[in-house]
Amino acid sequence: MLRTTLSTLTLALLGWWSAAWITQDFQAWTAEGARRLVVIEQPVAVPKVALAGPGLVNADLHTWLNGAGRATIVDFVYARCPTICTTLGSGFQQLQHALADETTGGVKLLSISFDPTHDDASSLQQYATQWRADPNRWAIATVRDDYQLRGLLKAFQVVVIDDGRGGYEHNAALLVLDGRGRLVRIFDDTELELALNYARSIAQKKVGE
Amino acid sequence: MRRAGSQSARWRAAAALLLLSLMLVPPVRRTIESNMTAHMLIQYPCLMLVGVLLVMELPARWLSIAQRWNELGIAGLVGCALTLAVLMVPRVLDLALVDTRVEALKLIALVASGAALRISWQRAGVVVQAFFLGNVLPMTAVIGTLYQASEARVCNAYRLDDQQALGLALVLIAIVTAALWLLHAAMRRTGNDATYPRDQDVVRAAWRQPQRGP
Repeated sequence: MLRTTLSTLTLALLGWWSAAWITQDFQAWTAEGARRLVVIEQPVAVPKVALAGPGLVNADLHTWLNGAGRATIVDFVYARCPTICTTLGSGFQQLQHALADETTGGVKLLSISFDPTHDDASSLQQYATQWRADPNRWAIATVRDDYQLRGLLKAFQVVVIDDGRGGYEHNAALLVLDGRGRLVRIFDDTELELALNYARSIAQKKVGE
Repeated sequence: MRRAGSQSARWRAAAALLLLSLMLVPPVRRTIESNMTAHMLIQYPCLMLVGVLLVMELPARWLSIAQRWNELGIAGLVGCALTLAVLMVPRVLDLALVDTRVEALKLIALVASGAALRISWQRAGVVVQAFFLGNVLPMTAVIGTLYQASEARVCNAYRLDDQQALGLALVLIAIVTAALWLLHAAMRRTGNDATYPRDQDVVRAAWRQPQRGP
């Protein structure tokens, strides 16, 4: 019975170790939870990506984010999305409203469409008009190059799947990027206040440096 | 134990290898894994079945050594229960799609736990079986309920309706398995099934002397 006890304990330890590994020490049970947890410890640098959209022609994302005293809240959308992107759209509208009094311009908003096939220049412009996006605060863009787009989605672990009704399901969230072009924090799409406060705090920190 | 090399054993091994290679063919694997329900309810059981079929083809000497470390099937059933528990964590399903290491470990763990189940189940007796199912089935039902009740998707790669269908199926599987096992256990208690030793005999023998294998 001693040998059986030993082998059982070994298996139990193996099971414990793999569960701890999978769940980030029992903190994250889903891939989304793990994504949000890991980015706090290890910010993700944006890959080389060219943005295109109203007012943006081949703008390098890293350069666009770059600048002392800057922070950007990013969401991933597709323009004809009827469900979650409506939440994101109105959320961004509220953020834009909250930022309206600020003169420093430290915090910017950026919506990136992951569906460049459908979202051409006019449909992005239409999205901007629909949400009354102020071009100085809120940029709306897509990535025309398929390879670059997939690289960006992969780096940020944005997963887009077919919803079976001609649209997409995707892990919508508010991504906060700092002035050095790194994804530093991910918030739930309902956590507008938290995302805004965090973005403001890192924007101010950069000013002090 | 059946002798390796007999006609039926050879067919069984061939069927297992065929099933394993089918499961590993990239297009088949991708198709199955594109659906959450199929991922867990087709791929998992099929890979476990491969383990069940292949393990008896191992040399008898290896099996008898393994069984010395697996009295009453305890180690095997604990290993199997832990494997299933870990592989039902939603993050595993997502990770397996993007991380080759996780996918490989998942495949190996499933085949191994099928094998462990096969060599442990009959030796376990009603008490150890009840302990095993008493852990695995409630866990399955709870996870199934969570998958059904969650408003949010627990896997980024799968749709909400898919997740809810899987949740319902997991709850049903837990209930049906529990019912079948209870029926089976009740029949064993009352019947005179000569293929099974009585539980108290198994336990007594295990404590008295280390088993030298089948």
